[in-house]
Amino acid sequence: MRRTGIKRSLMTMLWLTSGVVVLVTAAAFSAYELLSARQLAERNLMTLGEAIASNSTAALAFENADDATETLSALKAEPHIVAAGLYTSSGKLFAQYRPSGGSEPLPATPPRLGYRFEEGSLIGAQPVVQEGRSLGTLYLKSDLGAIYERFRLYGLITLVIMGLSSVVAYLIASRAQRQISRPILALAETARAVSEKHDYSVRAPPAKENELALLTHAFNHMLTRIAEDQGRLQSQLTRLELLRRITRAISERQDLPSIFQVLLRTLEDDLPIDFGCACLKEEDTQTVKLATLGGHGLAFVEALGLQIGDTIPIDQNGLSSSIEGQLVYEPDTREVRFPFPSRFAKAGLCSLVIAPLLVENRVFGMLVCARRSDHAFSSTDCEFLLQLSQHAALAARQAQLHDALQRAYDDLRQSQQAVMQQERLRALGQMASGIAHDINNAISPISLYTDTLLEREPGLSERARGYLVTIQRAIEDVAQTVARMREFYRPREQQLVLARVTMNRLIGEVLDLTRARWSDLPQQRGVVIRLETDLAPNLPEIMGAEGEIRDALTNLVFNAVDAMPEGGTLTLRSREASSKDEEPHREVRVEVCDTGIGMSEETRRRCLEPFYTTKGERGTGLGLAMVYGMVQRHSAELDIRSVIGNGTTVGLSFPVSEASSGVTERASALAMPNRRLALLLVDDDPLLLKSLRDILEADGHLVTAADGGQKGIDAVTGAAQRGAPFDAVITDLGMPYVDGRKVAAAVAAASPETPVILLTGWGKRMLSEDDIPPHVDRVLSKPPKIADLRSALADLVTRPAEVT
Amino acid sequence: MQRRGLIALLVSLAACTCCGAIAAAPSEYEVKAVFLFNFSQFVSWPPAAFGTADAPLIIAVLGTDPFGHELDAVVKGERVGAHPLEVRRYSDVSQVKDCHILFIDRSEATQLGAIVQALRGRSILTVSDIDDAARAGVMINLVTQSDRIRMQINVAAARAGGLTISSKLLRPAEIVGPVEG
Repeated sequence: MRRTGIKRSLMTMLWLTSGVVVLVTAAAFSAYELLSARQLAERNLMTLGEAIASNSTAALAFENADDATETLSALKAEPHIVAAGLYTSSGKLFAQYRPSGGSEPLPATPPRLGYRFEEGSLIGAQPVVQEGRSLGTLYLKSDLGAIYERFRLYGLITLVIMGLSSVVAYLIASRAQRQISRPILALAETARAVSEKHDYSVRAPPAKENELALLTHAFNHMLTRIAEDQGRLQSQLTRLELLRRITRAISERQDLPSIFQVLLRTLEDDLPIDFGCACLKEEDTQTVKLATLGGHGLAFVEALGLQIGDTIPIDQNGLSSSIEGQLVYEPDTREVRFPFPSRFAKAGLCSLVIAPLLVENRVFGMLVCARRSDHAFSSTDCEFLLQLSQHAALAARQAQLHDALQRAYDDLRQSQQAVMQQERLRALGQMASGIAHDINNAISPISLYTDTLLEREPGLSERARGYLVTIQRAIEDVAQTVARMREFYRPREQQLVLARVTMNRLIGEVLDLTRARWSDLPQQRGVVIRLETDLAPNLPEIMGAEGEIRDALTNLVFNAVDAMPEGGTLTLRSREASSKDEEPHREVRVEVCDTGIGMSEETRRRCLEPFYTTKGERGTGLGLAMVYGMVQRHSAELDIRSVIGNGTTVGLSFPVSEASSGVTERASALAMPNRRLALLLVDDDPLLLKSLRDILEADGHLVTAADGGQKGIDAVTGAAQRGAPFDAVITDLGMPYVDGRKVAAAVAAASPETPVILLTGWGKRMLSEDDIPPHVDRVLSKPPKIADLRSALADLVTRPAEVT
Repeated sequence: MQRRGLIALLVSLAACTCCGAIAAAPSEYEVKAVFLFNFSQFVSWPPAAFGTADAPLIIAVLGTDPFGHELDAVVKGERVGAHPLEVRRYSDVSQVKDCHILFIDRSEATQLGAIVQALRGRSILTVSDIDDAARAGVMINLVTQSDRIRMQINVAAARAGGLTISSKLLRPAEIVGPVEG
């Protein structure tokens, strides 16, 4: 275990240290001992030798061997002497000694003087001297038993001391170790407890030693810091979780109010705050509007004196820094002078945070959070609210984008439907166009002959003349019906034939035409629609297409009547005005007013779109679109004022123009060619050919008829070759194989002087499509009117004559 | 010088030993001559015994000289401390004056008492080989016992003469009681 680990290592360390010290000391001691023991042994032997030698002098001097032997035998006291001998000065062995049982041999002659260790023994040769005279030599040989004995003794002592010192060292070490290891173990124990239980409130017991006390203090300090950090982390995590929850909740919502609602609810419950509301910045004004209140908000509404929808001025309330995108924190609202925070103080909300709702660097609103106690928001809270407001702003932005996307998608679907409608109308229009062409061809002879009869037969009875007039009117009606049918489809802006229009007369006509709708039909249902007209006298004439303007006004009257199902007042107004444009000019303004149901903002915005209708199946959705088309073609202006429940006023402003060029004078229609003309008629319809020929011949012209394009071309080239070209060529446009275009081209090639008049059942449409073929001088629509024909001939044929 | 003498002695001894196989062991008086010389090593005289520091130490023979030239050979060139050695011969005790070691030959045996008497109190080491000479008052008596020469020492006589005999000399010797005659 770790516990014994540190203890044991400390113990071992201390113990080993003392052990090594003891060992080294013992080793040094032993080395010294070894050296000194040898020296001591040597000196002992020397002393012994000197004593023996000194005692042997007389024996040697007086050759008393017995005495010498006796002297030597004193060596018995020294058990390590293994041999001793006395040699006379002549080198003869004089006396010897061996311990009992010893058999050490003696050298025959005295060895070299001195003491030395030799072959595991200590040998000494000591001169025997008396009064400076050498009498002989003493030889001593000692084993090293003494040294060994000494060593054994010392070894034993060393062992005992080491044992003792070990015990003492152990005791000291264990005590010292405890002093060091106890606080460390306590630290380790604390650390273990902390890591196992994650309880950072545990503290290590304070230690006494300085460094350890420092360490323990540092450790405890660290624990405190960790506990703080842990707490901070925990709260951060909680915040993060809250942020995640709110973000998810608001991202699931698509509209601003419910985003704010869920945001405020969650904040109130989980942050928590005592009061929360969201404000939106008012466009173009320096105010914010209280948009959403949190769930607790109602409790404070009265005290605050604020209601949903109330506006709060920005500058007067110190909200400008918030509008600039900064988070505003009022730790104590009681100390702020601005009225807005003061209201909070009065309502008992003492701390206040205002977080901006910022999208693409633009603040569109603010999130207001408050708590009852002052200084209640920490910097973490503020940070959190700022982050949250960013998320909320993003979600709001997303909601806006989603809304825009939805609208775009709706528009797209609408456009798609419109295109489909238009396609259908286009097909219908083409069909109608074909039918119109055939009908026009068919009724052309009727029209021509009727005109001729009325004009040339003075002998007709009144009744016949009356019938013929009826026929003529019917034919005109048919022609107009066909024309309207053809106008049903208008792929693009038409080239207008403008004429002077007197607006007041036109208004009168419109009111006559629509009388059934605004007078008779409502009256059948018991509803009264009162008509008021307010027409300015002496209005200037405007340039316009009368029919179109009439149709437009009719549509507006219908709409006004439809807007008043319970009755009301229909007012038509006309007056002269001057425009407020950069180039001031005079205008004629017409207004159609009703006192009906009015239009919503949405309807007002969309009412000009084609196929947009509020009338359900009854409406085509084309009425106002047509009006708008007319307005654009006349360079006029249209404005609509409407208040729900109060009625609608549609105004049309037509510019007054002095220009009259390109306008065919009615008078010129009465013109006649002033001479007899050679004319070529080309048509594949024999009935038409015959009727035209009859009428033109009746006018006194020389008429050549060609029933087909090729025959017409042959006639033109033939006449040109004869040197007598036609004065004019009148040709149908649509013919099999060779059509009017080719005929016109052939005329231009053969006799360029000859004008070409093109008759067409598609007349107006061709005009509108800028499709007038080259070399065609005039286009007349079928059924042709005699007057038109005459006028055209007079214009084209006579003019060059006048010039020349 | 002393050493050289010793060496000379050793050489001569060695020569004797070498020739020992043929020649006989050293004669009795040869040994006794060496003994006489050796006594000078173990005995100390009072300072008054020497006139000067380098006054010779005199070994004298009283009576017939049994040594021949042996004694001279032994002391020749030897010194004891600062004192050179000198050999003198006296025929009568009256002649004995400045002498340090006096060998009394057997020829004087009859007059031994007188001689001892005459020399009493004087710092002269008296040596003799006359039987029981020590008991008669001679300081050192050389006795031949089973071919070996042994010493009998009359310590009291020596003390009376102011001489100090080394204990070393006393150990191999036989101490003879002070029988005053």
